[in-house]
Amino acid sequence: MDYFSKKTQKHKKMKKLLGLSVLVILLMTACDDEEPVVPEPGDIKLTLLHSVDDQNLQIGEERIYMSPVGHPFSVSRLKYYVSNFSFHKNDGSKYDTDIVHYREEGIEDTKSFILEKVPSGEYDKISFIYGLDEATNVDGGLENTLTNQNMIWPIPGDQGYHYMKFEGRYDSLSTGVILNFNLHTGATQNNQNYVEITLDLPNKVIIDNNTWEIDLVMDMMEWLQNPTDYDFAEFGQAIMMNQNAQEVLKANGTDVWSVDRVAQQ
Amino acid sequence: MIVLFVGSSCDDEGPMVIDLPDYDPTPYNLAYPEYLPIMEIPEDNPMTEEGVALGRRLFYDPILSADSTLSCAGCHKIEYSFTDERQFSVGIDGSEGTRQAMHIVNIGWMPDLFWDGRSQGAEAQALEPVENPIEMMDTWPNVINKLKAHQEYPELFYAAFGEEEITKEQAVKAIAQFERTLISGNSRYDAIVERNEGFFTDAEQEGFEIFNTERGDCFHCHGGILFTDNLFHNNGLDAVFSDLGLEDVTGDPLDRGLFKTPGLRNIELTAPYMHDGRFQTLEEVIDHYSEGLVHSETIDPLMKQIAQGGIQLTQQEKNSLLAFLKTLTDTSFINNEAFKNPFE
Repeated sequence: MDYFSKKTQKHKKMKKLLGLSVLVILLMTACDDEEPVVPEPGDIKLTLLHSVDDQNLQIGEERIYMSPVGHPFSVSRLKYYVSNFSFHKNDGSKYDTDIVHYREEGIEDTKSFILEKVPSGEYDKISFIYGLDEATNVDGGLENTLTNQNMIWPIPGDQGYHYMKFEGRYDSLSTGVILNFNLHTGATQNNQNYVEITLDLPNKVIIDNNTWEIDLVMDMMEWLQNPTDYDFAEFGQAIMMNQNAQEVLKANGTDVWSVDRVAQQ
Repeated sequence: MIVLFVGSSCDDEGPMVIDLPDYDPTPYNLAYPEYLPIMEIPEDNPMTEEGVALGRRLFYDPILSADSTLSCAGCHKIEYSFTDERQFSVGIDGSEGTRQAMHIVNIGWMPDLFWDGRSQGAEAQALEPVENPIEMMDTWPNVINKLKAHQEYPELFYAAFGEEEITKEQAVKAIAQFERTLISGNSRYDAIVERNEGFFTDAEQEGFEIFNTERGDCFHCHGGILFTDNLFHNNGLDAVFSDLGLEDVTGDPLDRGLFKTPGLRNIELTAPYMHDGRFQTLEEVIDHYSEGLVHSETIDPLMKQIAQGGIQLTQQEKNSLLAFLKTLTDTSFINNEAFKNPFE
């Protein structure tokens, strides 16, 4: 063999050795504990808070608020359903749920709820229904519990449940006596009347085998304004069968919610 | 074979040894119409045949009172749907109460009992009348001694609870088990609305609509299949309250004059009405909600048209509402053999 073929042979050997070494290294790394990581589902904990005038809603007569129309009012009760939470990714895909959650101001147990096994990924929007969708809002559509019995909407000809009971007292000014307001919303005379809410998240929820917390705030004053100032006296106390009143509240209800906090637990 | 040592108070010969069978209670199959909600039974008091039978005996047994003259049934009479026809019940020494006995129907679905809701659950409620000086006027230790000395109760208690000695906790558990069986779901209302059997008369139908719309607005407190929301309301009876109601329990002035919403099943049978039995008839009750509301600081936000004194029903509407309320009467309930006095 001449010098070059010796060199070629040596080169070939070295190539083989190199190749073998690379193979060994690859095999070694392949046998490590580190397998390629697949993102896993996680949980999202939702908390529903209530505010008026940028402060926590206070129940009872000590706290008097001023309605946009000019009625001093206090809040006695707030009970409602939210449902069908969906989480949106920026590619337009989303994760839907058909959860129904009952929330009552003053009942701590109802303040938060957890959605489990949310698929991994980055979510930048949340949407839900204030109230119940048409399929759920039928007689017997919800589980037959004491709580759901108390929300039944029994108007003959209608079906389902109250979406919201927002009750309190207001100073009527014109007659000088304190009257009651009962903002009870729900489906009546074939109008579904639920409110669809979509909110951008100020920072993304990134699910990967973890838990994220989203706090939502409902500004109760916004039920009484934007776009229409709600006059307790105009519609009177009984509005369940008053579709005009229901529509005013439904329109006002589109912007009552905001996102207060998004954080990984 | 279980050997039970019975403590004897008499002599030096040591405790009696009684051979008793194994503790093997039979689960009680509590059946009720599917349109009623699921009844949550406390985990520490599962329903058994032996427990229910014992509770029924105790309910009707005057042994629970100091002079052995007054049983639960003495004020909670089956023919009146387990309430008293008197405005105020009378204790063993002739003392009168200050509130009308509440009727015992569907209490298994009631988280709080008494007009002021001070007892959570039937077990807690049953502790009170025995020691109440204006009712049975006894003490539980004394009652337990009477039960232990009784010819049959030790065996019945053992069969129900399997414990060495009779306790007051067992006694009220048994009574609670019996009371949970007192279920009404078979009135004409149920047949018509829940089972599509038959029809309301025109008057009853009008009454149904008044009840279930904001015209009468009854449903906001007396709604659902239980005809009560199990909550507390000031329904405009007085401007000033001598009986503070819920405030007695919570100490909160915002709860002054609030009383528990009673269920309306069998309401035709349970006169007189309200916490103090002030209304003798259902007509008076309807008149109250129609014209008789009295304002107070804590009057419920749901009360409608307070400024006018109420919902201003016409005479025809009042008649119709009354007709509807009568459809809630369940004769199968008051005639149920299983609810009657086992000693008779």
